[in-house]
Amino acid sequence: MNRLHPRSAVVRIARATLQGGFFGFFGGSLGSGMFALPWFAVPALAVLGAVVFSGYALARYLRFQYELDGDTLTVESGVFARQSRQIPLGRVQNLDVEQNILNRLLGLAIVRFETAGGSATEATLDAVDEAEVKRLRNYVRTHDRDEAAETAAATSDAVSETATAGRSAHADLPGVTGPTSTHTGGAQTANDLEEPVSASVTEERDQPDGSLLFAFDQRELLTYALVSVRPAAPVLTLASLPLGMDVVWAVLRFNATLAGASLSGPVVRWLASSPETTRLAVFAVLSVVQFFLLALVVSVALTVVEYYGFQLTQADGDLRYERGLLRRYSGNIPLEKVQTVTIRENVLMRQFGYATLAVETAGYSGGNQQSSQGVAVPLAPREEVYELARDIEPFGDLDFDRSPKRARRRYLARFSLAAAGLTAVAYAVDSMLLETGYWWLTALLFLPVVPAAHLRWRHRGFDLDESVLATRSGFWRRTTRIVPYYRLQTVFVTRSPFQRRRDLATVGADTASSSSLLGGVARVYDIDEGTAKELRDTLRERLTAHVAGLRTGDRASDAEA
Amino acid sequence: MESLHPRVRLLWILSTVIQASVLGVIAYLVDRFAVSLPQTVVVGGWVVLVVLGVVHAIAAHRIWRFDLQDDALFLLRGVVTRTDTSVPYVRVQHVDTTRGPVERAIGLASVVVYTAGTRGADITIPGLRPERATELREQLRDLANESEATDAV
Repeated sequence: MNRLHPRSAVVRIARATLQGGFFGFFGGSLGSGMFALPWFAVPALAVLGAVVFSGYALARYLRFQYELDGDTLTVESGVFARQSRQIPLGRVQNLDVEQNILNRLLGLAIVRFETAGGSATEATLDAVDEAEVKRLRNYVRTHDRDEAAETAAATSDAVSETATAGRSAHADLPGVTGPTSTHTGGAQTANDLEEPVSASVTEERDQPDGSLLFAFDQRELLTYALVSVRPAAPVLTLASLPLGMDVVWAVLRFNATLAGASLSGPVVRWLASSPETTRLAVFAVLSVVQFFLLALVVSVALTVVEYYGFQLTQADGDLRYERGLLRRYSGNIPLEKVQTVTIRENVLMRQFGYATLAVETAGYSGGNQQSSQGVAVPLAPREEVYELARDIEPFGDLDFDRSPKRARRRYLARFSLAAAGLTAVAYAVDSMLLETGYWWLTALLFLPVVPAAHLRWRHRGFDLDESVLATRSGFWRRTTRIVPYYRLQTVFVTRSPFQRRRDLATVGADTASSSSLLGGVARVYDIDEGTAKELRDTLRERLTAHVAGLRTGDRASDAEA
Repeated sequence: MESLHPRVRLLWILSTVIQASVLGVIAYLVDRFAVSLPQTVVVGGWVVLVVLGVVHAIAAHRIWRFDLQDDALFLLRGVVTRTDTSVPYVRVQHVDTTRGPVERAIGLASVVVYTAGTRGADITIPGLRPERATELREQLRDLANESEATDAV
């Protein structure tokens, strides 16, 4: 059994000592205020707190042990409630490594093992040194590769026999081309991907294992940060504004002066008593523009910090990513565990022909931030993204079927209702509270209703490929989701009362992915009811057929062994 | 297609009554200790919720159907939004029968089917006689075993 690195114990005990000390100090201060404790109570409690907390931290460190043995990872932990956990390595979905600044200085890293079950990370090693990270990673990967080679060999046989039914998970992927490369063993790694998919590889990086699929240089990173607007950035900016209130007031005062207000007091008083609407409007527009510029800067900064030094490599059957400026994240995603492939393009990216590629497994991936879950390629020309997506999950040319035209009428009705509702609210608020008489301005919301309905309709669609179901939706951020038939979980058809009126239905195809934000469900929106039922039955049939195909592969491998 | 036991309506109505009563108690406490609420609103709200619950229970029972098809468990449900769900046997991780306190009092049981998916990862068939629930669980288990997959993820 191994222990975590001693340096991590030192860090933890130091942290616990501080926490305990503070806890005791505050508890003591509070107590001496309330119960008139003697003067030495405060330092004594502080010391006691420090001792108890650090003792517990030490005990936890000593109790935490792990071991890689054969096919399993065993983790023993817990001081009072003891836990012993065994994880079959074949079930590990991905392995993620995180290094914060302190750990980078100390040469340590946190390793997380994700499996498909449960909602939390199954095993966290906090922290081990870099050599150990390498050892763990290699151990898991070699284990995976051995298994993958077996199934790949078997399935490729099976596929040639049952030409239509089964398609091997990744038999056609360079890394797992199967029996020959792995069984002969040895020096097969770096160059087995003939041509690097990304042409944007500009600098030679240190790549000890695997071939580089994609990397960012500084300019591309900035482009990405600019075009991938984070919806959370304005909220974050707004929330952190109170921290710099003085600056905010100074800027607002400057704006007010620019707008031509004679300022004799605080801005608020001018705002409250200002009779000049045009000046007020200039002031408002100016401030709002400044706010959004600031939000953009925040968004760019966040993205740069998150994706600095991004690179994606492929080694054997694994994708491996690395990213982060302050915290370094890296991780392995076994290709055979990929559930769905998602291609996202927002409006800006579509203009310039770029796209984002994300892969999902049934474990978490891509660090602990929801926003970046499973991002494989943050930004690349669309063709490259599709090429890489086909490498991961082979599919043909996608030709999307749109929803029937009456779906567009449904969106039109829905958006009109929303606009009417907002106008009504504006009218009510205005006539009861504000009395400006400008409530009809909200009626302008009716203008974008028609184009909005059309765009929503135009960007929705689905395609039944030979081996995958592809769905697409979204105008602002178009998401194309590619689901292999053999990954389907449940299939459902939903019809809301409004859909029933127009004989429309939505078909959902669930997969075992973990991200609740992106959702594992690929949805085909608002198609004809008859088509929906057909689609459901087709999906069910193909799932059965493809799973059966994979299974004959396994039988063959058993027979071989 | 099999429908649920008629007594499931009673189960649903009872749980609405319980939920509405809990809300009523909260309203009473708010009224007592914080803001005063008009009594008619509280009582009226309770009555409206219960009536809605009764209507919903009757409609839901009329719509609910399930069927063990060749390759998948098929369910039809939903009063406002109709949903039909197909759970392929290959994807069944495990099957439970559960009996909550109200269910026990009425003499019914539910079967819960788990998959590895994100939406509807656990699918409940309520309102079954206990024998039928056990039988269904065993049927589903056998069907899942027959269609054994390498890895249900």
